[in-house]
Amino acid sequence: MSFEPRIVGFMCNWCAYAAADLAGTARKKYPPNVRIVRVMCSGRVEPALILKAFELGADGVLVCG
Amino acid sequence: MASAGSHKNIELLTYSEVMEVSGYVGNFKVKIKKKPRYVDESKCTGCGTCQEKCPIKVDNEFDLGLGKRKAIYTPFPQAVPNVPVIDRDHCTYFLRGKCRACERFCETKAIDFEQKEQTLEVEVGCIILTTGFDSFDPTPMTQFGYGRYDNVITSLQFERMTNASGPTGGKIVLKDGTEPRSIAILHCIGSRDVNYHEYCSRVCCMHSLKFAHIIREKIPDAVIYDLYIDLRCFGKGYEEFYNRLQEEGVNFIRGRAGEVTDVAETPEERGKLIVVCEDTLISRQRRLPVDMVILSVALEPRADVAETAKLFSISRSRDGFFLEKHPKLDPVATTTEGVLIAGCCQGPKDIPDTVAQASAAAARAMAIITKGSVEIEPTTAFIDEKLCSGCRTCISLCPYNAISFNEDKKVSVINEAMCKGCGTCAAACPSGAITARHFTTEQIMSELEGVLI
Repeated sequence: MSFEPRIVGFMCNWCAYAAADLAGTARKKYPPNVRIVRVMCSGRVEPALILKAFELGADGVLVCG
Repeated sequence: MASAGSHKNIELLTYSEVMEVSGYVGNFKVKIKKKPRYVDESKCTGCGTCQEKCPIKVDNEFDLGLGKRKAIYTPFPQAVPNVPVIDRDHCTYFLRGKCRACERFCETKAIDFEQKEQTLEVEVGCIILTTGFDSFDPTPMTQFGYGRYDNVITSLQFERMTNASGPTGGKIVLKDGTEPRSIAILHCIGSRDVNYHEYCSRVCCMHSLKFAHIIREKIPDAVIYDLYIDLRCFGKGYEEFYNRLQEEGVNFIRGRAGEVTDVAETPEERGKLIVVCEDTLISRQRRLPVDMVILSVALEPRADVAETAKLFSISRSRDGFFLEKHPKLDPVATTTEGVLIAGCCQGPKDIPDTVAQASAAAARAMAIITKGSVEIEPTTAFIDEKLCSGCRTCISLCPYNAISFNEDKKVSVINEAMCKGCGTCAAACPSGAITARHFTTEQIMSELEGVLI
């Protein structure tokens, strides 16, 4: 079985999350490996949140904004 | 505009510029620079004598190089208020200290060379931006020869030419003063083009059809070509107008022009401009010899759109126009509460759409200010005074300037009307005194557990 990473994506409500939402309405597909956590701004993402994601077994963390 | 100018509740500030905006919805403070026009508005009757007597002639910007104006001038015939302005860069008095012809002939003594720039500060509840568009300069598209051939003009130049108060008095003429016998109108210049603007400018199809109609009316036997990609006649009565033009004998060619050249291949082409194109409906290359070429140019964001967006803290979309809060559900609001947009500054649109959007923006502004109070989003941050150490880290980080320092209590305070709930302060607070409502650390941590376990 090939390796399937689990990635947490912290996405800004106004841009990256809106883009992901738009991808949905445009019926574009993206791999389900990215699990999206909406934040009001990428500035909200503090180091502790990223470390927590790794602690819980994430293979990668994406901060988009 | 004239009725807006005379309305008792509307104060028009023309020839003025917004320098600074602070505050928030309901409490904006706007600093405005009022430029000196060197004519006293309260004394001027708009008789126009000064413009007749002024000896200086310069290119008229409003006529796009087709006509001339004086150094004291009203920018366009229906300008409100009907008060002229002195162009400092060309006025002999400002350049060499002599002349004052306008002052001598002014019967009401309205000319005032001593006028100074003024700065006003006004308090407003809402701001509506209607800054419009710029028209695309086709010079970089060298294949069409704009600027190289005299009789290749833009749609706006043609518009001025057909205007009864324009530089030619409404006559359609070539550079040498003669009447054109054949005219080609090229659609989508700079629009629907990956090299320039990908979007459709929406108004050009209809104004190109209008041009064809005006040409047919003024020069009944002229040969008219309309070169289009698609004809987008989407509004009320628009399709009917298109049908009418087909009956009027306008030649519609589906195909984008590849080139405009003056290199003749046959005797009939000599002395003409030749539009080279592919007629995609008959799958054949064509060469159309014409006297005049009109380029229907794109509508684009104004040159200073980036500075304006920054001044009013609003965003722009990918094409450069101001970004609305939601394209369908909130097309007049922006992400900054209390700042509304209408017209072509939001995206290209025709007059009916602009009027509808402007009316919506005005109604929205009334709804906000007559209510007396504002509803805010619940996603704001708050500071626990007991935990705040007064380090002020949050104040420098807040992108909305919503945090101030309370000198008495030595703690930071968040203004909830200005806070957008981004949570940057909550992430940065070293003592953990700030909570971003609905996005607390505990909530995000549990969400992580939810998506990962």
